[in-house]
Amino acid sequence: MDKKLGTEKGLRKPSLKAIIIIVILAALVTLPVWGSPYLMNIFVLVLLYIAIGQMWNLLAGYSGLVSLGQQAFVGIGGYCLAMTSQEYGLPLVLGFILAGVVSVVFALVISLPIFKMSGVYFTIGTWIVCECLRVFFSSWKFVNYSIGYNISATYKMLPSTIYFVALGIGVATTVLVILLLRSKFGLGLMAMRDNASAAEIRGIELYKTKLKCFLISSFVTGIAGAGLYLNIAFIQPNAAFGIDWTISMTFLVIIGGLGTIEGPIVGAVIFVLLRQLLYDFPGFSMLLLGVIAIAIILVAPKGIMGYVNERFGLDIFSIRRRLD
Amino acid sequence: MNALLKVEDLGISFGSNHVLTSVNFEVHENEVLGVIGPNGAGKTVMLNILSGILSPTKGKVTFLGDDITNMKITERTYKGIGRTFQVPRAFEGMSVFENVLVGCSYGRKIPEKESIALAKEILQLIQLYDQRNILAGKLGLLGRKRLEIGIALASNPKLLLLDEVAGGLTKSEVEEILDIVKKIKARGISIIWIEHVMQTMIEGTDRVMLLAGGKDILCAPAEIMMQSKEVSEVYLGAEDDE
Repeated sequence: MDKKLGTEKGLRKPSLKAIIIIVILAALVTLPVWGSPYLMNIFVLVLLYIAIGQMWNLLAGYSGLVSLGQQAFVGIGGYCLAMTSQEYGLPLVLGFILAGVVSVVFALVISLPIFKMSGVYFTIGTWIVCECLRVFFSSWKFVNYSIGYNISATYKMLPSTIYFVALGIGVATTVLVILLLRSKFGLGLMAMRDNASAAEIRGIELYKTKLKCFLISSFVTGIAGAGLYLNIAFIQPNAAFGIDWTISMTFLVIIGGLGTIEGPIVGAVIFVLLRQLLYDFPGFSMLLLGVIAIAIILVAPKGIMGYVNERFGLDIFSIRRRLD
Repeated sequence: MNALLKVEDLGISFGSNHVLTSVNFEVHENEVLGVIGPNGAGKTVMLNILSGILSPTKGKVTFLGDDITNMKITERTYKGIGRTFQVPRAFEGMSVFENVLVGCSYGRKIPEKESIALAKEILQLIQLYDQRNILAGKLGLLGRKRLEIGIALASNPKLLLLDEVAGGLTKSEVEEILDIVKKIKARGISIIWIEHVMQTMIEGTDRVMLLAGGKDILCAPAEIMMQSKEVSEVYLGAEDDE
């Protein structure tokens, strides 16, 4: 008997899908050739927001861990990059590696108390940990108190180099999420997303699975944080550990589609474009983003891609197993 | 017959509410034990204790000779206890096939690829093979009940706990469920089956236990149970003619 895993209904045209993905990737890879520096900068932001959005989605959308403390890893990532290059004059690549490693170690340490909490307590707990980190960094001599650092090593970098770093992080993160969700681990994550208590009865160890997700998410968010500060080139604790990062992740995942791979991509594009368009109206832009989020929650509770997937079966990065 | 499961002096209280005071029974290998009782008798609470969702206040549960009273939920699944829920808890955003695949690969701790053939066999047993690629959330009630059994069966249980799998179904649908349960029993699997539909207890069980007032009142073959004074009084609420 033929039995094979394939793709779900509405995705029966893998060749068309492959063509679309290849065209998008080709456009992205050649963007420094045909795009302006401004456009390149926009895409740097989109790609890095995709990365942090995918990781927040992995936590909230699949594991049920609604964290308001992901900015901790953005900040740690940024500081790892700043410290290694600015204080010790080490290569930037080492800063990126440290960003991931230190973030995972920090996540492992805080997971001990944080994972004793659940639901809204977990959410508040993650936020408190991050606020503690912000205050601690502001009064820590080793990281130059709240004065922070200019990351001058990035001054000499070409915009296209920063762009390719962001492209690597954004694409690698998305591929990582696809591979994770297509694995047995992903099967368990999707079951947990749908019904955690039933998933446990079926043999899925909730604690271990959630912890793995938390560690993966912290690793990638740390690296993406380093990428974000490679672009910003200046770091100080209030901004690095500010909740604005997590608000951005939450916003883009909710409007894009929680629990979908395409959601953070669409959400990141919309978020960055809106933010750029409303750059001169900082107060108004926050208000508008809030109104848009509420409107989408009311009209399409599963977000734009959740709605599109359900309505039209347009599941681009299919993670569905099919028995033919 | 060997006792697969042994429950001794099992009790659980929620504050001053003593739901189960002292429940004692055994389930033997390849036996179907029906459990009946009035609403609020603690039947589902008992299944929740056996599957590890609730911890008993007192008593002991032995499964395959080991004390599992304080064993984790997942460990019980790996050891061979599967269960269904009164209100089906399928993974609605996943397909029927994926639901069974979860049970196979996690419940048996085997790689996903090795689970595919097993999942296929189970889908045929629960008669959902033709609907294997649709989302579980799109199934009707009978389909959900079948799937619930399928997911529980996927973990390769030695003891299956069924919580009102025939509830809310029509007579012909109940017969379909009965047919599935008989096939499961034919595989050598023991079953504890809570049900209000008497037809299932008469046709699908070896013994029936009456649970009321927090205790096991009587345990006997279904034909004897249905004629017993205890069932009439406690479960059916009939007055004594005398």
